[in-house]
Amino acid sequence: MGRKTLINVTLGTILMTAGFGAAWAVASDPPPDGETSSVAVRLYLTEGSLPTDDLNAAAWNSIQPSEFKLAPQVHWPDRIQEVTVKSVKVRGMHNGRDLAVMLEYDDPSEDVADAAALEFMVGDQKAHFAHGQGMLQVEGGPVNIWYWKKENGKATDMSAKGFKTLRAQERQDVSATGAWQDGTWRVVFSRPLQTGDEADVQITPGEWRNVAFAFWDGQLVDGVEKEKGSQKAVSSWWYIRAEPQPDNSIYGYVVLGIAIAAGFEFFLVRKIRKGNQA
Amino acid sequence: MKGPLAQTGILLVGMYVFLKFILPLFTAPLPASLIFLYLALTVAAAMIFYTMSGAGLEEFMGPIGRFLTGEGQKGVATTARVMVFMLFPLLVGWQTYTKLAPSDVPPPENRTIHPAPPGEFVGLSNPFQKTQENIMMGKGLYAAFCSPCHGANFDGKGPASVGFNPPPANFGDPGTIAQLQESYLFWRIKKGGVGLPVEGMPWKSAMPRWEVELPDEWIWKIIMGEYDGAGQSPRTWEEEE
Ligand code: HEC
Repeated sequence: MGRKTLINVTLGTILMTAGFGAAWAVASDPPPDGETSSVAVRLYLTEGSLPTDDLNAAAWNSIQPSEFKLAPQVHWPDRIQEVTVKSVKVRGMHNGRDLAVMLEYDDPSEDVADAAALEFMVGDQKAHFAHGQGMLQVEGGPVNIWYWKKENGKATDMSAKGFKTLRAQERQDVSATGAWQDGTWRVVFSRPLQTGDEADVQITPGEWRNVAFAFWDGQLVDGVEKEKGSQKAVSSWWYIRAEPQPDNSIYGYVVLGIAIAAGFEFFLVRKIRKGNQA
Repeated sequence: MKGPLAQTGILLVGMYVFLKFILPLFTAPLPASLIFLYLALTVAAAMIFYTMSGAGLEEFMGPIGRFLTGEGQKGVATTARVMVFMLFPLLVGWQTYTKLAPSDVPPPENRTIHPAPPGEFVGLSNPFQKTQENIMMGKGLYAAFCSPCHGANFDGKGPASVGFNPPPANFGDPGTIAQLQESYLFWRIKKGGVGLPVEGMPWKSAMPRWEVELPDEWIWKIIMGEYDGAGQSPRTWEEEE
């Protein structure tokens, strides 16, 4: 009996530990293969005012950017097969009241018709990334587009729900500044996290939103802009989230969990011992 | 090895190795939650088996009970007992933390890649003859309209394929058109991403709605060219030659 018990006990322990180990190992599925570019933009939480006018501020350069690839727009007419902007680096921050997003991308020439845009779903309704075009089996919502063009020198806050419905909103909530240097554009968009305008995306720290990107190289070729309108570089939906305030109550719950588990062990052993005596 | 507990342990390890490492050799890997569920079922089955087969619950639970109470334990067993007793609360603490800690990873979206087509697109057959001429015409149209995304080599790696999530389908992959009927492709090409039902997440798909640009005849011929070019054949109801 003594020997058998010992073997069983040791084996049981090994198995338990192996079980825990296995649970740990299997609890996290490996990420899918070939994910080289980012999936999400993170708006880092900072304090004080945001460097929306100083595009070379240390605060910007200290942020590790997310990077998204871009494709020529071949989804609907008028298509384009080759575009200038191949990928974009995105950095973001917020201070609990306002947010700022910087798009950094390569474009060899600075042209008045160069432009960049961010697109968001509005509210809880899903919207197709191509201007919220109508879906056949799902009721879609509108999109909110933040559009910056070099020659305007400012942002336009826009809405669309389907092709040919894009228009500037009555209420303008977005600002933007762009600076071109040595073949690279840096464009910073800024806005309050919450605008109170139903047509706008509302950003609540901690909550995930969808975001997509578009860029136009306005270089003149034979007097015509190389890219304009639907001829642009695009992405489909990715994710964006404003970092939430750190929440220290988590550690309270961890301590509570440990205490409950230890208490459970204590009572379990007591119960078994009592049972054995009976 | 004797004793119900030891046997169950061996069974569990065997099950895990089979589910995690051997099964993926033949089919898609199982998600962690499913493996966990199967292992839990194995434990439950073993307990039922041993209690029913006369060995009695005591023989199964007895060693565990003695281990936990530490009765008559010495040496290694005592150390092991202390370790398990310390490990369990720590594990609970760790689990609590990982469940509550804010995650930098977006929530998983389980998109159904091949949702059911609408009724009117079930069982249609290609009205055009599979002639060399029709296939060539289909390939030409494919090159003009589809290859920017799906690639000149049908591998989903066209110049406009980057930046899209989900990416354009790779027709050489046995998991795409080889599993589908021509009728299903006709639906997908005609209605595009926006034609998908909610579980297919139409808002994310870059697949164009070709019915607004291409006549049905072209779509049927493109389907022929697509299968031929990708070296696949459509799935049929009766697996006739
Ligand atoms: C703008 C890029 C783009 C173009 C152009 C395009 N597709 Fe697609 N296609 C996609 C994407 C992205 C998917 C995957 C998402 C989905 O299933 O909707 C897809 C999926 C498909 C599927 C479904 C495959 C499966 O396994 O379910 C078929 C079939 C298909 N495309 C055929 C075509 C044909 C034929 C053409 C040309 C007439 C074409 N596509 C042109 C982007 C494109």
